[in-house]
Amino acid sequence: MDQELMMKLIVEKVMEAMKEGGTPAAKASGTGKMTAADYPLSEKSADKLKSPSGKKFTEMTKAEVLSGNISSEDMRISPETLEMQAQVAESVGREAFANNMRRAAELIAVGDDRLLEIYNALRPYRSTKAELLAIAEELETKYDARISAGLVREAAAVYEARGRLKKD
Amino acid sequence: MKSKRFEALAARPVNKDGFVQEWPEVGLIAMNSPFDPKPSIKIENGVVTELDGKARAEFDMLDSFIADHAINLDGAERVMAMDSLDIARKLVDINVSRKEILDMTLCMTPAKLVDVVNKLSIVEIMMAMTKMRARKMPSNQCHVTNVKDNPIQIAADAAEAGIRGFDEMETTVGIARYAPFNAMSLLIGAQVGRQGVLTQCALEEATELQLGMRGFTTYAETISVYGTEPVFMDGDDTPYSKAFLASCYASRGLKMRFTSGTGSEVQMGYAEGKSMLYLEARCLAITKGAGVQGTQNGSVSCIGVPAGVPGGIRAVAAENLIAMLLDLECTSSNDQTFTHSDLRRVARSVPQFFSGTDFICSGYSATPNYDNMFAGSNWDAEDFDDWNIIQRDMRIDGGLQPVKEEDVIRIRNKAARALQGVFRELGLPAITDEEVEAATYANGSKDMPDRNVNEDLKAIEEMMARKVTGVDFVKALEKAGFPDVADGVFGMLKQRVAGDYLHTSAILDENFHVMSAVNEPNDYHGPMTGYQISEERWNEIKNISQAIRPEDI
Amino acid sequence: MTFDEKVLRSFIEEIIAEMAAQEEKGKSPKPSITDEVIKLELTESGTAPKGAASDEVVVGLAPAFGVYQTKTILGIPHDKVLREILAGIEEEGMKWRIIKVYRTSDVSFIAHDAAEYSGSGIGIGIQSKGTTVIHQKNLPPLSNLELFSQAPLIDLATYRQIGKNAAKYAKGEAPTPVPVRNDQMARPAYQAIAALLHIKETEHVDNNKKPQSVAVAFK
Repeated sequence: MDQELMMKLIVEKVMEAMKEGGTPAAKASGTGKMTAADYPLSEKSADKLKSPSGKKFTEMTKAEVLSGNISSEDMRISPETLEMQAQVAESVGREAFANNMRRAAELIAVGDDRLLEIYNALRPYRSTKAELLAIAEELETKYDARISAGLVREAAAVYEARGRLKKD
Repeated sequence: MKSKRFEALAARPVNKDGFVQEWPEVGLIAMNSPFDPKPSIKIENGVVTELDGKARAEFDMLDSFIADHAINLDGAERVMAMDSLDIARKLVDINVSRKEILDMTLCMTPAKLVDVVNKLSIVEIMMAMTKMRARKMPSNQCHVTNVKDNPIQIAADAAEAGIRGFDEMETTVGIARYAPFNAMSLLIGAQVGRQGVLTQCALEEATELQLGMRGFTTYAETISVYGTEPVFMDGDDTPYSKAFLASCYASRGLKMRFTSGTGSEVQMGYAEGKSMLYLEARCLAITKGAGVQGTQNGSVSCIGVPAGVPGGIRAVAAENLIAMLLDLECTSSNDQTFTHSDLRRVARSVPQFFSGTDFICSGYSATPNYDNMFAGSNWDAEDFDDWNIIQRDMRIDGGLQPVKEEDVIRIRNKAARALQGVFRELGLPAITDEEVEAATYANGSKDMPDRNVNEDLKAIEEMMARKVTGVDFVKALEKAGFPDVADGVFGMLKQRVAGDYLHTSAILDENFHVMSAVNEPNDYHGPMTGYQISEERWNEIKNISQAIRPEDI
Repeated sequence: MTFDEKVLRSFIEEIIAEMAAQEEKGKSPKPSITDEVIKLELTESGTAPKGAASDEVVVGLAPAFGVYQTKTILGIPHDKVLREILAGIEEEGMKWRIIKVYRTSDVSFIAHDAAEYSGSGIGIGIQSKGTTVIHQKNLPPLSNLELFSQAPLIDLATYRQIGKNAAKYAKGEAPTPVPVRNDQMARPAYQAIAALLHIKETEHVDNNKKPQSVAVAFK
């Protein structure tokens, strides 16, 4: 993309954000939407980044890891950061990718083992329709993961139509 | 009488290759099968009711996913009505920007995309690649494996590959249970070579994700998608499970791409009588619809199939181009043996090598091919000088540069010692000084002493049970006296907190600065635009030690 | 999928003959086939039960194995392949049971089904073209204990070793995996023919048919 086009896009996005007034995107912590101009966030917006456990990105150093102040659990991406990355993606016309980032933001709260279980349950012939719908329900009520729950429900309907549910 | 000319020809390497006639009924045809569907779309109330000649009631799982997720419906009917030849001409018109092309191609069905690229000659495909590649500068990826799954050799080969210029490295296993050792050896070795190199380990889907979550790898690639429903099932996934898996990776801050390629469906027995390229276009639409940033495609491990039929290698370049037309990072194969002929293997790589792609090889073998556990790559360690000199001959940047023997020996030794230290700190089966020495000077696993495989496998099981993570590698490296390597591994772990490298075509430089299609988009629009080799880079490429300096005479 | 079987058969025979001719010239690994003719008779006897005996290894055969196809990609007759595997299992003092898997032609799933039906939880899957996997029931289907993915590199000695190792896993031992072999020129020479053989195997898949018990007789 050339600079002029980039400028145009940024202006459009800023105008759009202004029009929307005080309704910032779902879980973004910053004001206004992120665009390609804010990217890489780790350089240009580092102060806005935090781990889910609340550790600041700018304070994440090897020394902190060695002293035990930062653990493996702290070195994770947060829903807010993924929302910002989704906005960056949208600013360069990558809507499907942005949607993936938003599904991912919802799934951060799901523990590693449960996440793997859900993935495996979505593989062919692994689950009954009721089991898939229960997973969708769990995602929605327990984790507020609405986009992901929608994907699981959609899969349940398609698997049923195509004979890919669990066979006894 | 027999012709002596024919006798000589019969003895040529190319005549050891397997060739087959086209057989459209079972999908043994590269592109343009008489059974391929005609492009079409119908949209009612914002829902696709017909896709490439099929009504919604007849949709299989892939059609449903593509119709509901993969096509930009806003302009779809308008673009689908446009003449494919006109669009093909715009692809090679420098006055039509990449953005203007994407505005059209993102609205297309798989059959329409195929119809457009069918109109291009191989040279036009290359011109279109030059414009449509997502990232401004091309790059390269290597395979680092060996037939013994020897971890010290993996670390040393990764370090060498780092100074040779690879930005991404992939390993896999001979024995599946060795995976954690291979992954950590690659991670550590790569950071010794050059900080910021991305590393992955190709495994069964769920296992691969687990290693990523633990910080043993920094991205993933072998997330396979297929162009027909039965083959997708044999791959033990669906478009929906794969889309969910994509989000799982991003939720842990890990970069990932899907993998697909022409020939896989016919190889796995269910091509449904469609051409290889049409089925690959369906794979790429699924990749796009899943919201994945990129793909490894270009037949990949099935290359023997398209290479065996007429026009197959052109189809492989065409599928790379379709990935680019969908605004996906294209990691363009050139990673698997398909021929005995050195002439054919170079010709096969010309489109991607000369045009430049996001990753020209998705696995240049950084070891001799006998150690390549992807069953051999199109390019291997013994071709390093050939690759470098082709870059120099053509003034192209294929991602590599010449290196000095003493630098290679030094960096291999350091990687082996760093891994030796980590094994010691983590209580893993000792790496002896003899093994370090052997890895320092080795060409391949024939030069390495055997390890006690059972002892290693037991230690791996125990290490995974006590939940060792990437953070433990940082601590172990620091304790073992390799603070700079600890910095490298820590720097890679930190990437997953910021997520910048999740974006399309992202790579990292030695300062962990991300370069992706967001901040370094390809802006080619004719001669002297787009990626230009800097003077500094040209000096790196052209200064081969084999060249005689006039002042020395 | 419909196509002319006769054409396919003659096509495959032709390529196999060509390959055999090439092998004569030397380079490719040559199977140790004796001239004696042994016939393999596989008799199905209904849906296979899940095993309870902890001393059994179940061998899962792909849909066309021994019936519609009778040789591996290297031309090793299926009866010899099966005899070596079974002998390997017996050598370790374990029992074997054979099932025919119809729902898939994918070797990982065949092996995984065999493992699930095996009282010991260890199964072997084998495709007509010779590709073989040792599997364990609690592993993901596309993972495995040992995979022999390059069919052109598997000789009879390796098949026996595969049987032995599977039996050792079933006994709870940790055998040294059969050394992995790699030949980067297997793909150029064999991939297209492998595709043909696999298409042929897949013809006999029945998605809704459960694994069948198989009695084996070597004549």
